[in-house]
Amino acid sequence: MDLVSAWVAAFLTLAIYSFLYKDNPLYRFAESLFVGLSLGYEIGIVLHRTIIPNLFQKLAADPGRNWYLVIGGVLGIMLYLRYVQRVSFLGRWALAVYMGYFVGVELMQRLHGDVLPQVKDTMLPLLPLSLASVQNLLVLVGVLSVLVYFYFSRPHTGILRPVSRLGIWFIMVCFGASFGYTVMARISLLVGRLTFLVDDWVRPTLAAILG
Amino acid sequence: MSDAQQVGGIDRRWVYLLVAVGALLPVLIPMGLPILTTPAVEALFQRVESFGPQDVLMLSFDYGPSSAPELDPMADAILRHCFTRGVRVVVLALFPLGGPNMAQGSLDRVTGEFSVEEGRDFVYLGYKDGAQAVMRRMAEDISAAFPRDHRGIPLKEIPLMQEVRGYPQIGVAVSLATGILGEYWANLVNAQFGQTVAVGATAVSAPKYYTYLKAGQMIGLLGGLKGAAEYEELLASAYPELRDRARVARRGMDVQSIVHLIIIVFILLGNVFYVLSRSERTRAGGRLGPR
Amino acid sequence: MKRQIPVLLAFLTGTFVVVAFFVSAPVVVGLNEKLDELLMIVTAFALPLGVVSFLQHHSKKIGRRSIGWRNSIVSVASFAVMASLGIVEPFVSAQGRAVGFNWLFDTVFTPLQATMFSLLAFMIASAAFRAFRVKNLEAAILMISAVIVMLGRVPIGKFVLPPSAALTEWIMNVPNLAAQRGILIGAALGAASMAIRIILGIERPYMGGAGE
Repeated sequence: MDLVSAWVAAFLTLAIYSFLYKDNPLYRFAESLFVGLSLGYEIGIVLHRTIIPNLFQKLAADPGRNWYLVIGGVLGIMLYLRYVQRVSFLGRWALAVYMGYFVGVELMQRLHGDVLPQVKDTMLPLLPLSLASVQNLLVLVGVLSVLVYFYFSRPHTGILRPVSRLGIWFIMVCFGASFGYTVMARISLLVGRLTFLVDDWVRPTLAAILG
Repeated sequence: MSDAQQVGGIDRRWVYLLVAVGALLPVLIPMGLPILTTPAVEALFQRVESFGPQDVLMLSFDYGPSSAPELDPMADAILRHCFTRGVRVVVLALFPLGGPNMAQGSLDRVTGEFSVEEGRDFVYLGYKDGAQAVMRRMAEDISAAFPRDHRGIPLKEIPLMQEVRGYPQIGVAVSLATGILGEYWANLVNAQFGQTVAVGATAVSAPKYYTYLKAGQMIGLLGGLKGAAEYEELLASAYPELRDRARVARRGMDVQSIVHLIIIVFILLGNVFYVLSRSERTRAGGRLGPR
Repeated sequence: MKRQIPVLLAFLTGTFVVVAFFVSAPVVVGLNEKLDELLMIVTAFALPLGVVSFLQHHSKKIGRRSIGWRNSIVSVASFAVMASLGIVEPFVSAQGRAVGFNWLFDTVFTPLQATMFSLLAFMIASAAFRAFRVKNLEAAILMISAVIVMLGRVPIGKFVLPPSAALTEWIMNVPNLAAQRGILIGAALGAASMAIRIILGIERPYMGGAGE
């Protein structure tokens, strides 16, 4: 990164960090800039990475074989008709195809890719007794008690009460671990910005000043 | 000063300042603390280690700049590992907000260090919309999802892609992921197409991947900056010539150490204040309450 | 009719994808592959859908000079510049390398997004002060687990609490795994039942939105 770009990036970094002191116009400016850029970024990307190569170039290369891609283009344009009052119902047709496809994929993905393998891996040998079999038992007990905790169709009374309480304990360990990992993630981002400020901005600037 | 801006009676900006100083010091003065490696990271490293020039690794950039400090070092380390061993790499991006730039950035940083040729040793397919649709379509025919690479060259004209038609020719697919995209590689690509998968996840989502790892739906897991630092450590131990290059994440772990300690101190202090205020309330209640 | 057609379309598309999972007849496989290709294109069109609402919202704000209208100008202008560069540059630059677009991404967008997310590092530190008060057994378990993992995943942990690394591995691979698995199975069953409701037209999220 050249020094001018580094100064621009450093200015924007500090503008965002100024929020830590208090909300201010500089932060609001940076925030607005971010909103516009993120939306603008996607326009060029979807056009040049998907719409042109996967629709237009394929159609141009072999229209006889790839004619069906037109349907994708038409459905895509129909999505925007939701903003045109008189024909907004056509937007719903396109959205219905879009959602129908992804929920169909999701249905099999979740049942076949999540539920079955996870249940299978929970049904592991508990005998002969060993460290591994004790851990298998703990996982089995943990999974069942967590599922009981999230089972709201019956009140948690009788046997369900202590089991769901056990489920909470497992969830608490899990959330504690997740908190630890979240801290790690957020600090990593801070490390990234500080490393940028020190290595790409302060040091090159000092080097330029001191020759 | 409103209550919300106070932490235990002090302005929370002092807390912010303490975190900033704690994070800045190790950036300025690296401590070089040792990195312990874990089986989840070793598993992916060993898999790549078992590969040679006949093998192909798929590297999917499923993240943007908000996760770059955690995932960029993983990407760079994996690419360096592959190029050192002559393993060929198929790079793609499925995350819309920055994925393509993350992939290009990593390739720009790493390819210059090796005598590798685009199209023969690695190919960058670019970005594609519709994550699950792309993953499904690539199974048998990558060129149906990515008709051209990022330079606009048709895939059938690229030597590497003449050998790699779909998942069957990929040794391992590694997704560096933020959000849910990494899960798709396990519960869709691995589950439905039997593709060997590993995930480099942001630390926020890393805990949930343990269940996929244990169920054999993934062969390796790199969790956050720690995972990246472990991969760098393994790489530096196996290939000492890479030690100076593979150190971004390891350096970051010094900062993690200090700030984690600061946060643990905050947790303990929070409890001390809590116990003190409770006993004060109890004493006040004792004086004021009925006899 | 206007209400029945979308329900039918969602039903046909969703059912076909599910049936195609079980059927390996070439005609079904071929259609399924074509559907994947179509949906990549539809998703590409769907992604910038928010642009219309974005422009409507900000142009209203600017037109009425509402609070923060100057910031709306910044948002719209930065959107226009980034979108224009993204559209035009790959056509005119060598090898599709968009220099201005990439400069804006690296120099402006990246620091903004990365810094915004890194603010949470500070927030989480002050939240730790309040959130981990040991009020009962559950809160104690939460705190102990968090502290062990925070130590076990950093190099300095082995000097502060030597068994923290081994304990963390155990926590992640046993109790954390069990709870994550329980949550995953529950969420997956929930998502699957919601998918069935949408395919069968019991839930119709595609009917909402503008024009309703």
